[in-house]
Amino acid sequence: MTSHRKKNPWTRMLLYLFVFVLCIVILYPYFVMFTTAAKTREEMYALDMTVFPKEWKWSNFVDVWKQAPILRYFLNSLIVAGGATCIAILCGIPAAYAMSRMRFKGKGIFLGAVIMSQMFAPVVLLMGIYRLMLDLKLTNNLLGLILLNAAFNQAFAIWLLRGTFLSISPEMEQASKIDGCNTMGSLVRVLLPMAAPGIVTTLIFVFINAWNEYTMALTLISTDTFKPITVGINVFNGFNMIQWQYMFATSIFATIPVVILFLCIEKHLASGLTAGGVKG
Amino acid sequence: MNKHKTFKKAEPYIWMLPSIILMLSMIAVPVVTVFRLSVSDISRSGVVKGFAGLENFQAIFSSSKFWHTLQNTLVWTVVVVGMSTVLGFIIAMVLNQKFAGRKIVRAIVVFPWATSLIIQSIVWKYIISADFGSLNVILKKLHIISQNVNWTPSAAAYFAWECWIGIFVTIPFVTFCVLSGLQSIDETYYEAAEIDGAGFWKKLTRITLPLLKPSLTVSTVLNIIYVFNSFPIIWTITKGDPADKTHTLATYLYKLAFTNGRMGQAAAVSVVGFVILCICAGIYMILSLRAEKEDQL
Repeated sequence: MTSHRKKNPWTRMLLYLFVFVLCIVILYPYFVMFTTAAKTREEMYALDMTVFPKEWKWSNFVDVWKQAPILRYFLNSLIVAGGATCIAILCGIPAAYAMSRMRFKGKGIFLGAVIMSQMFAPVVLLMGIYRLMLDLKLTNNLLGLILLNAAFNQAFAIWLLRGTFLSISPEMEQASKIDGCNTMGSLVRVLLPMAAPGIVTTLIFVFINAWNEYTMALTLISTDTFKPITVGINVFNGFNMIQWQYMFATSIFATIPVVILFLCIEKHLASGLTAGGVKG
Repeated sequence: MNKHKTFKKAEPYIWMLPSIILMLSMIAVPVVTVFRLSVSDISRSGVVKGFAGLENFQAIFSSSKFWHTLQNTLVWTVVVVGMSTVLGFIIAMVLNQKFAGRKIVRAIVVFPWATSLIIQSIVWKYIISADFGSLNVILKKLHIISQNVNWTPSAAAYFAWECWIGIFVTIPFVTFCVLSGLQSIDETYYEAAEIDGAGFWKKLTRITLPLLKPSLTVSTVLNIIYVFNSFPIIWTITKGDPADKTHTLATYLYKLAFTNGRMGQAAAVSVVGFVILCICAGIYMILSLRAEKEDQL
């Protein structure tokens, strides 16, 4: 509904007012996170609370790393998200390739199964997942989380990748085959470079999902050394006192990289999701 | 030559094998386990003692907490998905206008989507807490209130806040799905409609909405699944309390299994959730396969 003609000034005003309120509401929690993270502990529980810290305690952002094994948690998150992304992509590319370029029996059924698998979020299967990990001796183990996150993001990865592959004409690959390339060669040398934007989108999306995952990690990891940041952050939620300032300082560190990654793919992601969805 | 033919036939399956193995082992196996556990007699320590028939189901169906939870789950899913779809749609319509700073606003709208649900929930828990919460402080400074307000006097109030957080974090997904749909609509439709004298509402209901149907379907169905299964928000804010009145199926089964040690009943709750999701999945598959057929025509 974009219109290039001159707008009624009142509509303009209303538009800006709406956008202004929208931004205030969305940024409010982040504002709270930031200002609270810079408060002193005394101020946190003082009677005369202020919006901004009376004394900006920037050292909170440094101290938080010494207060708890935050670095360890971050590393665990990085390993889990990185590992899950690699596995999800390495399994997803060939599957998406077969499903976008080949004709075979049972394609419809497999496509249906992929969509179905997405319906079952980890929480509904938590009992089964817990048992499985016990049997595999993968509780309190990062490998377990890596495999699970990869599997639960597989549907999305295939979905996004298939959408990307379908949007690329197969002519170039056919030409490369005539030139003597085998299927693998034409995939790696011709299709993948052309599909790079879609692949990067998928990579980042899976990474963010795994980075933000909470439920499975909460259930499977009880040892401090293996906690990812989403579970580890509760270290500041003590029995008799919640150290909000450290909690929020950690939150900021955990949020910034993900928001930046997200902004990189924002344009491709929404169109990829809907396009993939419409195409099945 | 024959060998080559066999390979050609098997080739697609070989390409899909890694993916199939991953999903079978990590998703299909737990599915089977959950169904098996739901009809098993399980001790508190988690040892399967034998077949229990439908005892677990009878136990949960006879508990009023379960029915209250089911009702909550329905309210939660409908309110969060409904509200976030309406609001997300409106925001997308606004963001599709040309105005100064549009890029920045679009970037800001992404924030709640990218932030971990657990972090988002922790912040809101802090914001609404009565004694030192940020909402009270700000409203007092703005002289809107003079005394601290208890924002969560009852279970229903807690649940309403949880719904609000759910809406807050779900809006960006809808907005971006709708935006991508809006941007693919040909401008000439609107120009033609304007020549015919169509007003804002006519254009909205006759052009925009019908053409957005695919985007809205995808975002709505996916949101139903995510929101139905959402765990971190409610677990962080109330853990289902006070008196188990703010549970949804997801938090209820977690508490049954890992706090109360009733694994069998928890598995039965899973199966119920499962059946509800299967119905959603079925509807979705019919819709998307129909879209695929239309695509090919």
